[in-house]
Amino acid sequence: MIPKTLLNLGAMCIFFLVVLPANAQDKDGMKREFKFGKVQPSEFALIPFAADTGATGLTLFDVGSCDFRLDNNGFVYVFERHVRYKVLNKNGLDLGNLEVPVFKGSSSSGKERISSMQGATYNLVGDKVVVTKPKKDAEFSETFDKDFVLRKMALPNVKEGSIVEFFYRIESDLIFTLRGWRFQSDLPALWSEYTVSIPEFFQYKVNLNGEELVKRGPTTTVNATYVPGVSSMAQNTRFVAENIPALKDEPFVTTLDDYRAQVEFELQGTHFPNDMYRDYTGTWPKIIQALKADENFGKYMAKRGYIRSLTPDLLRLNDGDTLAAVERIYHFVQSQVKWDKSYWRYTTYTNPKQLFEKKTGNSADINLALVGLLQEAGISAYPVLVSTRSNGAHPGYPIISKFNNVVALALVGDTSYLLDATDLDLPMGMLTFSNLSRQGFLCDLAHEEGQWISTSPTFSGESRYNYILSLEEDNTLHGKLVYSTLGYEGWRRRSGYRLFNGDTDYIKDYCEDKPGLTVSSCSFKNLDTLNLPFIESMDIVIEDHVEESGDLVYFSPLLFERTKENPFKHEARNFPVDMGYPMKETYRMLVNFPENYAVEQLPKGVLYVLPEERGSFRISLIGEGKQLLVMSTISLTKPVYTPEEYHELRELFKIVVERQAEQIVFKKN
Amino acid sequence: MVCAIGIAGAQSYDVSSIPEMLRKDAAVVVRQENQVFEVEGLKKGRLVYKLVLTVLNKAGDRHAEMAVVYDRFSPVSDIKATLYDAAGSPVRKYKKADIEDQSLVADYSIYEDTRVKYLRFLSTNYPYTIEYSYVQEFDGFLTLPSWRPISSFEMAVEASTFTLRCDPSYAFKQLQANVAVSDSAIVNGKKVLTWSSTQLPAFAHEPLSAGLDNLVPWVTLSPTAFEYDKSTGRMGNWNELGAWAYSLSEGTDVLSPADKARIQALIKDAPTDRDKIMRLYDYLQENTRYVSVQLGIGGFRPIAAEKVAQVGYGDCKGLSNYMKGMLQQAGIESHLVMIASGRPGLNPRYASVGQANHMILCVPTANDTLFLECTSPHYPMGYVGSSNAGRPVLLVTAGGGELAATPEYTAEDNFQRRHIQVRLDEQTGATVHITTAYGHAQFEGALGMMLTEPVEQRKRMVEGLGIPGMSLGEYRYVQADKQKPVITEEINLTSNQLISKGGDRLFLTLNLLNRREHIPTTLPNRKTDFKLEFQYTDEDEVVYELPSGYQVAHLPAAVAITTDFGTYSATFTYTGNTITYHRKQQMNSRRFAAGRYGDYVEFCKQVYQADKQKAVLTTSSGDKDI
Repeated sequence: MIPKTLLNLGAMCIFFLVVLPANAQDKDGMKREFKFGKVQPSEFALIPFAADTGATGLTLFDVGSCDFRLDNNGFVYVFERHVRYKVLNKNGLDLGNLEVPVFKGSSSSGKERISSMQGATYNLVGDKVVVTKPKKDAEFSETFDKDFVLRKMALPNVKEGSIVEFFYRIESDLIFTLRGWRFQSDLPALWSEYTVSIPEFFQYKVNLNGEELVKRGPTTTVNATYVPGVSSMAQNTRFVAENIPALKDEPFVTTLDDYRAQVEFELQGTHFPNDMYRDYTGTWPKIIQALKADENFGKYMAKRGYIRSLTPDLLRLNDGDTLAAVERIYHFVQSQVKWDKSYWRYTTYTNPKQLFEKKTGNSADINLALVGLLQEAGISAYPVLVSTRSNGAHPGYPIISKFNNVVALALVGDTSYLLDATDLDLPMGMLTFSNLSRQGFLCDLAHEEGQWISTSPTFSGESRYNYILSLEEDNTLHGKLVYSTLGYEGWRRRSGYRLFNGDTDYIKDYCEDKPGLTVSSCSFKNLDTLNLPFIESMDIVIEDHVEESGDLVYFSPLLFERTKENPFKHEARNFPVDMGYPMKETYRMLVNFPENYAVEQLPKGVLYVLPEERGSFRISLIGEGKQLLVMSTISLTKPVYTPEEYHELRELFKIVVERQAEQIVFKKN
Repeated sequence: MVCAIGIAGAQSYDVSSIPEMLRKDAAVVVRQENQVFEVEGLKKGRLVYKLVLTVLNKAGDRHAEMAVVYDRFSPVSDIKATLYDAAGSPVRKYKKADIEDQSLVADYSIYEDTRVKYLRFLSTNYPYTIEYSYVQEFDGFLTLPSWRPISSFEMAVEASTFTLRCDPSYAFKQLQANVAVSDSAIVNGKKVLTWSSTQLPAFAHEPLSAGLDNLVPWVTLSPTAFEYDKSTGRMGNWNELGAWAYSLSEGTDVLSPADKARIQALIKDAPTDRDKIMRLYDYLQENTRYVSVQLGIGGFRPIAAEKVAQVGYGDCKGLSNYMKGMLQQAGIESHLVMIASGRPGLNPRYASVGQANHMILCVPTANDTLFLECTSPHYPMGYVGSSNAGRPVLLVTAGGGELAATPEYTAEDNFQRRHIQVRLDEQTGATVHITTAYGHAQFEGALGMMLTEPVEQRKRMVEGLGIPGMSLGEYRYVQADKQKPVITEEINLTSNQLISKGGDRLFLTLNLLNRREHIPTTLPNRKTDFKLEFQYTDEDEVVYELPSGYQVAHLPAAVAITTDFGTYSATFTYTGNTITYHRKQQMNSRRFAAGRYGDYVEFCKQVYQADKQKAVLTTSSGDKDI
């Protein structure tokens, strides 16, 4: 399921003018050596090439390693990073500032400490490299909150053309997920490498993104010593990337991280001497077993005491109407607790009772309580693990750490409903935009099994504008607008409406970007009936829209809904266009005009359909007597378009912009 | 019995007891606010604060938080917080673990010692009421609490009081408005001042507002003498405050012998003082960067110039002071300047810490006075940026503080002058060449673009120009004279959607790039004054060369508008096969009385109408796309 569109990036042909000099390099190009403090004058001549010539800085190398050691409480991993940048212009001066977040945690949660932090600045003076090292007073430790400390350093004498270098080492108890490595950043890089050395007692899963850019070396077995006097083995793997272009953002993507060359690790199992092999996350059933036994997942859901104390009517299946019960329970949770805006796959509480007492919680607190309630009512319900759009796509194979959220699924007969009770305006069966990441993993804790399910939306985002107007001789338009929104658009408008301090404020804001529009009265329908369209009806007057010159009167018939510019502006596209859900916009305007006006030739209608009906645009203008009917429909039928299909979208909207701009012209007599 | 109900009623947080007139336009209602500050000497103060606030709807959610800022001189204790439902019954009492403790480091700083105790109240149902209280002890203080019961739009107040208790000999200054001057009473040997307000209705949000200051009660106080982080001083007036600032910086501008030698080498053969200043300012821009560290009194005292020279970085104070030290070596006197950057300037009649938030350097020269912004690696010498221009500032001199003013950038200074040549062709569409010069405040935006990484630059331009059907060609930014805040931008592009059709006619919107697309919302009964923040002059000329066979059927009539908000003119001429559009808009930055708002909306409306005027064209060759 990972979109492998990095192929396009690979084809972008990035070369660098100069290759790294003077450093030892082995035969297969997988190994180079970099010594802290050893900077050659020739390194000051290194510059990026092609698309990245204007970059603010250049990563000369970025080398990391992750190794293990045994301390009093068990194994810790030791992460080291050695990075060297060249400052290409003044916008890159901040490369001289380092910030490293360190999880301070507690003895129970595990913690990290930074055991070395060094930096140096190099300037070329004549043909000599001058080194400046920071003093102690250039180091800072900011206690950010109860979990994190930010360790910082500001290097001296950083100027345009300087080379700056950092080294730091972090020791961490948090061995479930090792520190990953980003080979690609917003700076171009000449060399990036990461070596992990895993003791024979551990097995880790590797999630590598961007195989086009990153070479994965063979895993070799080496001798290692963790307990003095006892010889052990470790598995070494090296990942190397060379001449890596800067990663550049594009609109309409889930998260840029989905397209970044990077590697992540998660513990799969352990095999200690005198112990059997323990599989933690090697297979989905293992992952589900662990979730089932987790205080903040399965055990939380299993606690039903409080739920049973709730009013029995809530959980009763009247006449076997399961759908009504699901709806009632879903709405109950929605209205009882407020989401604290944090996503997580684990609860913060250990019992749903705490959630209903404190009235707030994270996504897992809320949605796992919902599953518990549904199950208690005898409804088939399951947690579904999700990685939100901004968290990046899940690679598909058994990795728990890539999930950062959990929603619920209820089965009613053969129909399944995805439920997310964190949002009061979300209709049953709809996931919020953030969760539209294509797939989720359904966990059947009872049977200790699970499966991937599609979370692609069954709802689209639909807007319908319906104007009934009359054009007066003073060239103002009077009449009515009925604006209905459905699916994701309905959700968006409802949520938006609630942010205002009453209708007056809301209408003020509605008119804000629509010059000439006055709303004299308005009414709203289905605000709380989430499964029906949200309907906004307004009595309106539009001034300053119809123009006059000589005996001609003309106006653009799409009023405030005209697509003035192509939303797909850029010529090139590397990544898929991911809008989350399909969309449709229907515009209809019926206008009566004065007796002494005569319509000149009306703009021609058009129907433009993309291959396989991936999208379409239709506009038609019909005149009869002193009445005109204008209809325009834009439809995008897919939530995600490939980079190739991007060009179709661009073409489609080019036609939309052109045709919607056409004027209706009257001749006055 | 009556009495008992009365007491219960007074303490109830039941939302139904809020009078209707306080609900109008309100998203939140301050039910009860009590702020008591006790001065127990220059080194010791104690704040006791309590707030009860009802949130009526979702629009008020942003007020449902507690954020108490503190540092090592002002620890916070005894925090209590409770959430109530609409009936006034407690829903949740928060525990210590629920209160977050976070560092509060400004995004421009690498390190500060300021922290915040933070709690966000979350309620599923509306309305709801929050209550919190805390005690804050001050070990020395530079400011006294201010009081502003209505701190934003859509906020009503049932009752709010501020009490100051101090020794009768304790001196402070005060500014206040729309509230009765507190009678001071002596209670238990202490002077007690109390300000209070009840039943204040809310103000609906108004665009372009100059604020509520002249409509709502407020009090601000400032000590006359103070002690803070082992430093003592007086700030009875700006002269005293400046004297204190001077005492902090005294001796910090000394440089090492090596630095002195380098400076002498730099200014050798410089013919004039101005040349010397220019060389040193250039040296500063090439060799330092902005790194901000603010710790206690370090928020006011510059890092030693010698240290800045050594590490090549500093904050606004450190860099200004380093420049001062360098100038001194060149025999040029200069003064550190306390300035309110990006907000209203210092109040000349009321000295207090906190009005200034930035430091620049003033160099008095024989002919004129130069101000130097020492944190920018890009500004021309003497250009301080629009956020620092035209405002009262304080020069920190050996004789104490001296009020002065930075130069104002006038509407003429902040110019945008544009010439566009458009060649319309039936086959290839429109070829467009745009040349724009940006000055002063408008130079800053162009500078930002000029310094942007090229791929991002192109992206922004494609997204920002707003020309339909555009295909962007070559472009460049040039700052011809590094000593002048002027940048020229040249853009080449093509478009085949400049002209829209309608029947057998063609419509051409003549103002290609600088249209007003927005009219401020009409407000029948505006209460607050409004402010036009930015003065500028935009001049646009667009020349359209029409293909042969095209005729102009209609050209709009010239427009000229003169108001005290600004002036506007647009002319349209047609000669040969060329349409020339000329537009000039000059806007003034000023505060206007609320009553003038309707006129301003009307002005904007006229500009909006004038900007979208179209030429109507006919063609002998029939239906063609351009």
